[in-house]
Amino acid sequence: MKALTIAGTNLRRMFRDRTSLFFVFVLPLMLILVLGAAFGGPSTPKIGVVGVDSGHFLDALRADRGFRVDTVAREGDLLAAVERGELAAGLVVPPSLSGEVRLVVRQDGAGEQARLLVAAVIAAENGRLASGEFVARVAGTDTADAMSIVDSVAAVTPVVSVSTSSTGDALFPADLGRFSLGASSQLLLFMFLTTMNSSVALIESRRLGMSRRMVATPTSTATIMLGEGLGRVAVALVQGVFIIAGTSLLFGVRWGDPPAAAALTLAFALVAGGAGMLLGSLFRTEQQAGGFGVLTALGLAALGGCMVPLELFGGVMRDVALFTPHAWANQGFAEVASRSGTLPGVLPELGVLSGYAAVLFALGAWRLRAVLTR
Amino acid sequence: MTTDTPEVLSCKGLRKRFDDVTAVDDVSFTIAAGETYGLLGPNGAGKTTIISMVAGILRPDAGDVLVEGVPVSTRTTEPKGRIGYVPQELAVYPDLTGRENLTFFARLQGLSRVAAARRVAHVLGVVGLTDRADDRAEHYSGGMRRRLHIGMGLLHEPILLVLDEPTAGVDPQSRNAIMDNIRELAHSGLAILYTTHYMEEAERLCDRVGVIDAGRLVAEGTRRELVALLGERDRISLSVDGDLGHAEDVARLVPAVLGVAARGRGLELLVHDARQCLPAVLSALAEEDVRVRAVEVDEPNLETVFLHLTGRALRG
Ligand SMILES: Nc1ncnc2c1ncn2[C@@H]1O[C@H](COP(=O)(O)OP(=O)(O)O)[C@@H](O)[C@H]1O
Ligand SMILES: [Mg+2]
Repeated sequence: MKALTIAGTNLRRMFRDRTSLFFVFVLPLMLILVLGAAFGGPSTPKIGVVGVDSGHFLDALRADRGFRVDTVAREGDLLAAVERGELAAGLVVPPSLSGEVRLVVRQDGAGEQARLLVAAVIAAENGRLASGEFVARVAGTDTADAMSIVDSVAAVTPVVSVSTSSTGDALFPADLGRFSLGASSQLLLFMFLTTMNSSVALIESRRLGMSRRMVATPTSTATIMLGEGLGRVAVALVQGVFIIAGTSLLFGVRWGDPPAAAALTLAFALVAGGAGMLLGSLFRTEQQAGGFGVLTALGLAALGGCMVPLELFGGVMRDVALFTPHAWANQGFAEVASRSGTLPGVLPELGVLSGYAAVLFALGAWRLRAVLTR
Repeated sequence: MTTDTPEVLSCKGLRKRFDDVTAVDDVSFTIAAGETYGLLGPNGAGKTTIISMVAGILRPDAGDVLVEGVPVSTRTTEPKGRIGYVPQELAVYPDLTGRENLTFFARLQGLSRVAAARRVAHVLGVVGLTDRADDRAEHYSGGMRRRLHIGMGLLHEPILLVLDEPTAGVDPQSRNAIMDNIRELAHSGLAILYTTHYMEEAERLCDRVGVIDAGRLVAEGTRRELVALLGERDRISLSVDGDLGHAEDVARLVPAVLGVAARGRGLELLVHDARQCLPAVLSALAEEDVRVRAVEVDEPNLETVFLHLTGRALRG
């Protein structure tokens, strides 16, 4: 079928172009990797300790699951590591834990938590030492014996415990993979951006006289438009499938129910393809279309929650966002990936996206026919 | 020209306006099988607009294009398979190889995969690109790209080949190769519609020529018929030094001179009788300090015909 020949040539030409290969395949994965590493799920912060490498104090610190405790040989290394952000806090403990314990913390959440933890552990340690002193005085034993009496009593003393539970939806579910955060946003942003960019080929085709040449063959304008439209959709789909497969294999991103994720990807590819076709028929020069395309793609992505999550949008912005196909697709992917949604759960999103695609394709075909035969 | 061969192309009353420009104004002509027909006219005369309507990529405001009696329009597909269209601008995908470019259009012409491969190999031979078939077109020389561009119109063995200024921007050697190519195609029985603003190409290649100016077909016929329009007239070519515009003005004022056109480094004059008026021309120029380096008296050519019909030069 001739439409497939045209679409296939579109794809072939995209694969020929090294720069577009970078933008289509390499950059999205790189961004997902970088964003995932920077903002992705919890990695355990560390506290560094200089001065002791065993003993009760260190065990008490290590009992907290929120931090990893590493011993560091020299004070200078400790300070440097805190400065670089490798450690949330650094602790300088004097020999035999007497006198002043010095604590350096980073000015961030993890540093503050480390400060609270160290203060609590030291308060408990002070209580233990005071009890030991008390036993030594009352029983007349030496300090070491007194301390072992204290520790064995403490081991069998019933203590008050705290149980914590949380309420409200977590902004980002904790069981989402480290890189899953924002992967679908990047997918949408890039699929749309690439398609808008590839529609410049439509204008190039006209500038080169290729479009006229195609119209001069026994091929109907409807077939040519179908082919060019399919070409745009194919470009979007190839990239979409690549990003989904790549991120799930390389970074363990979970995209959720495959049929539902596939349907959303296809629907969004159709929207992007329609928009690309319209763009390619509206502008005269590749520069105009390229500039406008990139602006539109980034603008819609920002409005549609691909840069800042929709959950953080205020009331009005949230309503505005719903005018973008990106917001609907983002909602759909969130439903599928985070809340285990399946096809029926994303039918509203699929419906809206199909509507967008239909309108954009109709407009694009109408404009393209006009510029092809004047 | 009267002939028994059936018309391959027939254009009747073609008109096309763009906003306030009448690009084509009531143009009619026919081309018979095996005939090469040239549309000769300066830039902006309307040649490309006519060709575009013939190829079915531009809708005429009025008039018909028939190929073997079948109407061609932007909405028809079937008769387009009989036309091989080679547009004025170089239309090849630079990032595809010669073979890929040809195969793409062979498929759009409706050839099967196998038939396309066979025709592509054949056409690569015809345009002399077999050795470079699998290089990207962006690595071709200008002449090679032109040949590929022309080859793309030959894939489906059309009966009418439509070429819009196929030698534009090509070095003289490639130009000769292209013209030889076209002549061979004509000998094989193809009807050819050829536009150019080079008088020499029209004279060398075309059985009949339509002279086109400002959207109108102002004359039509064989070279001999067109030159006969001039009656008993001569053409004088002068090579001059200095300000050509000034020389042109001076020559125009000589009473026996019917038309003047600046051309290259000299002037073309249309006169009734060269022997009689040459002295007057030369003395007028000498009086105005225009140095004449060479004089040539010749039969009129198509350039002279154009000058006679429009009062203007075909090109500067
Ligand atoms: N698409 C267009 N829009 C407006 N004017 C045009 C268009 N195409 C051609 N013209 C005008 O029509 C006239 C004929 O152009 P064209 O057919 O390209 O001439 P030629 O091929 O003989 O150089 C010119 O005045 C040109 O400016
Ligand atoms: Mg032209």
